Amino acid sequence: MRFSPLSSGLILPPSGAAPAQTTATENLTAEAALTPAPNEELRVDLLVAEDAKVAQGQPVLRLRSAPDIVLVAPMAGRVARVDLRPGRRLSQVVFFQDDHCNRHAFDTKSPALPALLQASGLWRSICSRPFGRMPRATESPAAIFVMGIDTTPDAPPPWAAIAGREDDFSRGLAALTAFPAKLFLCEPAHQPSPIQPPATFTRLPIRPIHPQGLAGWQIHRHFPATPSAPVWEIHAEDVADIGGLLATGYLPATRLVSLSGDALRAPAMMHCQKGADLRGLGQSLLRPGPHEVLSGSILTGLPAHWLGVHDRQATFPTLRATTKPPHWFAAALERAARHAPIIPSAALDQSLGGAVPAAALIRALATADTEGFTRLGGLSLLAEDVALADYATGARPRLATQLRAILHKIAAEEDAL
Amino acid sequence: MKRGLWDREIIALLLLLAMLPMVLAWLAYGGLDAAGRLAFTLITSGLWHLVFMLARAQPPSFAGAVTAIAVAMLAPADLTLWQLVLGISFGSVMAELVFGGWGRNVLNPATVTLAFLGFGFPTAPWHDFALPVAWAAIPALAIGALYGVMSWRLILGALAVLGVALAAHLPVTAALPSTAIVFALLVTDPVASAHTRAGSWLNGALFAALVTLFATQWHSAAPAQIAVSAALLTSLAAPLLDEAAIAFWLSRRRKRHG
Repeated sequence: MRFSPLSSGLILPPSGAAPAQTTATENLTAEAALTPAPNEELRVDLLVAEDAKVAQGQPVLRLRSAPDIVLVAPMAGRVARVDLRPGRRLSQVVFFQDDHCNRHAFDTKSPALPALLQASGLWRSICSRPFGRMPRATESPAAIFVMGIDTTPDAPPPWAAIAGREDDFSRGLAALTAFPAKLFLCEPAHQPSPIQPPATFTRLPIRPIHPQGLAGWQIHRHFPATPSAPVWEIHAEDVADIGGLLATGYLPATRLVSLSGDALRAPAMMHCQKGADLRGLGQSLLRPGPHEVLSGSILTGLPAHWLGVHDRQATFPTLRATTKPPHWFAAALERAARHAPIIPSAALDQSLGGAVPAAALIRALATADTEGFTRLGGLSLLAEDVALADYATGARPRLATQLRAILHKIAAEEDAL
Repeated sequence: MKRGLWDREIIALLLLLAMLPMVLAWLAYGGLDAAGRLAFTLITSGLWHLVFMLARAQPPSFAGAVTAIAVAMLAPADLTLWQLVLGISFGSVMAELVFGGWGRNVLNPATVTLAFLGFGFPTAPWHDFALPVAWAAIPALAIGALYGVMSWRLILGALAVLGVALAAHLPVTAALPSTAIVFALLVTDPVASAHTRAGSWLNGALFAALVTLFATQWHSAAPAQIAVSAALLTSLAAPLLDEAAIAFWLSRRRKRHG
């Protein structure tokens, strides 16, 4: 199989041993939480009381704007704390593990697939572009990209995540054909999917170099997303979860997560619950000394207590001891001046996958030119897709921040229509 | 968050590194006279960067040194110091610093300086270059392309057109040494040249085509003058080439995705 000759990327300096080389262990942390994604606003109704016992997969929260969409308990346990911000906006719901509770069974016979996904909380694992939100309840995708590849540094390989669950994956892929959408399966060129997908799937062999394995650049190249024709991205492991749910009526309990970073004695891969406690995950592996805990990769990760909704990586970088403050003159220049611009170079071009006129996109972002950004296909992208360019160029303000701002602006305009 | 190294100053330093073979060869052949010129242009360019740092809080850039090198090597001979100061000041300030420094400029400041000096003082003779200095442009381009700070598409585009011109026996041979030096110093500047893929090919090809045109039709001109004029016109056309390349890219995308 061949990948596009235009696909390019950057080889990042290795950060030690790769987690993918290790054997995954099971590690359910004592605490877990339901949290919104960064910049996501979820106005919710509670379906259980604080301190109540819940089964794994039991509906806990319901969206006020779309009562069919629920958020479910990531593990069997007790609801320890419910934090809502004003306007019943979800901040977090924390669970304590309790082995005496069991698993919640779903009725998989009668409802159609969208209804089942919404009732089981799997709807949340879908990322809809443009804007990278959870799909609206009535949304119908124009295309679905199943991501069987993830080239983010130290990410767990999707095929490892579904190892032993190939039947579930196959069943999940078959279930997705119920959507009237164009279907794509992205897979590493050197390591195709372990199962043959249904004939309606277009297989996209991808060169395993970052950022080619990000859904954004594949969507940008093969099926650009627009507000009227949204494109969904779903990870292969979540497809296997759909298959597992359809087969047994129970929600699979774990997700494969990789742990990396120089504050760890060794990298690791773990099957843990969604929303797991990141400190609990890294506890046995951490070196003594100050460190940060990030949910996500070293490129995109944010300081967090809990594993993020779409994250499959936890990163533990060492906190450098604060060095002496910069010279007063350099510090003054740093604050007073506009930051140095990005110079077009091969590194910039490749860090954006070679898929777009890089300098033109950067300029559209810097000037918040929504028209130019849309014309260049920016609506297919999310902040994670430009994280590598941020890393490579050390851009300030960060491209990811600029991209988030411009998407927010376009979304506000679209929602006003 | 970790960060990579492709920021503005690293790219400027890599450009300086790429120019080093040419500069060393030039200094070896030019002797003290050349070294004095280089020191003078470096000081003048540096002073303007200092002025803009103090007045506008604009961080100075190593790109000022790149400009100074290009001016020192290419400026017409027999100019008085005052004329040289006027030229560098015009080029650095009007073509670079008033826009907000290197990276926000439209034209290469050295190209503007040289055009200003060429048009302003037309009686001053242009330099001829020792051949080894011109040969040193090859490692300069190779280093630039290897680190990705110069576009290899631009280089190949120019080589292709020059190759055609040579094969057609057009009289470009005399202009080649100066063309190589001007190409490495001015045309491949990543900011002032086209930045799209197709645009880079066209940019290189346009420069070589203009050099060929001037070499065949502009009989009174010195080789360096031909190359600098071609560089100026190419630099002016670069945004147009980029626009054309992006329009072509968009039309192909529209055809594919509707």
